[in-house]
Amino acid sequence: MRIRLNPIVKKELQVTVRSMRLSWGLFAYEGVLTMAFLLALAVIQETTSYMSSGNIYSYLIYLFPVLAVAQVCIVALIMPIITASSISGENERQTFDIMLTTCMSPLSIVFGKVSSAVLRILFFVAAGTPIMALSFVVGGLSWSYLFYFLLAIILLSVFSGSVGILCSSFCKRSISAVILSFVIYFCIYILTFLPMIFRAIFGNGNAGESMLVLLFNPGVFFEEFFMQIMTGRSIFGPEQGSAFLSDDVGIVTYLLARGKVWMFVSAGCILALSFLFMALAAWKVNPMHSGAGRKPGRKKVE
Amino acid sequence: MLYIRDLTKNYGSFTAVDHLSLHIPKGDLFGFVGPNGAGKTTTIRIVCGLLKASSGSVQIGSTAAAVGSSEMKRLIGYVPDFFGVYDNLKVREYMDMYGSMYGMYSRDIAKLTDDLLELVNLSDKKEFYVDTLSRGMKQRLCVARALLHNPQLLILDEPSSGLDPRARVEMKELLKNLHSMGKTIVISSHILSELSEMCTSIGIMNRGRLVAAGRIEDIMRQISGGRRIHIRIASEVEPALRMLKEQTDVTVESVREKELIITHRGTEEEVCALIGHIIHNQVILTDFYREAGSLESLFMQLTGGGAS
Repeated sequence: MRIRLNPIVKKELQVTVRSMRLSWGLFAYEGVLTMAFLLALAVIQETTSYMSSGNIYSYLIYLFPVLAVAQVCIVALIMPIITASSISGENERQTFDIMLTTCMSPLSIVFGKVSSAVLRILFFVAAGTPIMALSFVVGGLSWSYLFYFLLAIILLSVFSGSVGILCSSFCKRSISAVILSFVIYFCIYILTFLPMIFRAIFGNGNAGESMLVLLFNPGVFFEEFFMQIMTGRSIFGPEQGSAFLSDDVGIVTYLLARGKVWMFVSAGCILALSFLFMALAAWKVNPMHSGAGRKPGRKKVE
Repeated sequence: MLYIRDLTKNYGSFTAVDHLSLHIPKGDLFGFVGPNGAGKTTTIRIVCGLLKASSGSVQIGSTAAAVGSSEMKRLIGYVPDFFGVYDNLKVREYMDMYGSMYGMYSRDIAKLTDDLLELVNLSDKKEFYVDTLSRGMKQRLCVARALLHNPQLLILDEPSSGLDPRARVEMKELLKNLHSMGKTIVISSHILSELSEMCTSIGIMNRGRLVAAGRIEDIMRQISGGRRIHIRIASEVEPALRMLKEQTDVTVESVREKELIITHRGTEEEVCALIGHIIHNQVILTDFYREAGSLESLFMQLTGGGAS
């Protein structure tokens, strides 16, 4: 049995690896991570010099979350830019019509675009692994965390990519798609806190089950991820301050957090949201759905 | 081969294609002509599954598959009017990518690519980057790409637009070649002289409606009945003019000194009989000719003078 690679993934990888942009991108990525590493190291050194023990080694494990957060931020910023220009870019090049006349379904086109962007991001993450590994050499952290982090960054890439591709399918121009992607980002990362805040202020001071909407927030997912890795506790645990007291969060959230399953449920929710975005994008680019296709005035119609 | 039945496409209150019905037989080289905004590209895009029709149906061969379905897409090779390129992609890889999109395996694609590049005279460009090819070469590559999955119907939307004269001739020869190989081809073009040279049949669209369709010679024959006839007279014009006005199927268009311009709606035999009748009545003719018929004049006549 022969395995078929998605033609779009194959093409995108061929084109990407030949481009000088990849080399420059990797160089910049490594540069940012190195800067973050050196900065964190300097802060740790400065902090430990004031402490009585002066033992720098016990604090070096904090290099891991610093570098990981730096990678998460870079990926979260780059990914929508890559995918937001994927479909609108094809439209600008006028290659998308030919693609749609082939036997590839709109969903496999969208999936191919997101997959190729995720693979491109994995180049960067792989290139950043040696720097990440530096935080493991002094001990205190399991190497399996690096693997979990890789899975988490893939999840983030798929999510960010799906946001980008959704915007790309709705916008005619790449720049509009990028802007819309960041608007949706804002809604997901910031506005998901609103129900909780409103309920806390205007309700009985109890955030209750409205916190469940945070399951869809990748920012909260990563916060929980790092909290679990670094302390073994949940951000929703009773010891984490009044905002997340067990009385406030609601019974379902509390049980999810106590059972340490919040992270997995959240990963599932984020993945489901990503597939929903991809399905929406595929529906939008499908010329056979009502209302799709070129309208007079947008492009030549004779 | 291609059956279009009662096809309509509306954009709000604007009708781009209005109850279009058309049949293109297998092995035909069909030219689709019409002024800008006539509905040609809309029709082509509907057939290719790039646009949803408001009503009507499209059928290729005996398949009952719906437009836009994978089955239908396998039967069509589409060459758009504009050739978009990917940077850093070689001709061989370009063909491989599109072959894979039709579910073909790389080994089979490689074999077919060699044959098709030879057909379109691009064998020596196999390892070239696509964006380094000339526009004419890109267009021929696009035709090779459209033939990769061996479609029953090849649709080209203005394949010669933007090409230099040499590239146009090469494209024309390529299409003639494909036609001689038995391919059914539909071409939308603005270059009417080119279409009249290579097409076996044409369809003329105007304002979303098909105003004429069939074999070029048949349409020309139909239309020639209404073509203008110039009659130059040496004697007095009045008796001839009187005789012509008595004929029901003749319209006198103009009288310029000794020259009469008429339109006769009858057959060739009836025109001969009319001229014989004029001569028999002692009118001396010095010249008599029918205006030359061309696809251009036919097009202008059918589209009400609309420029192509």
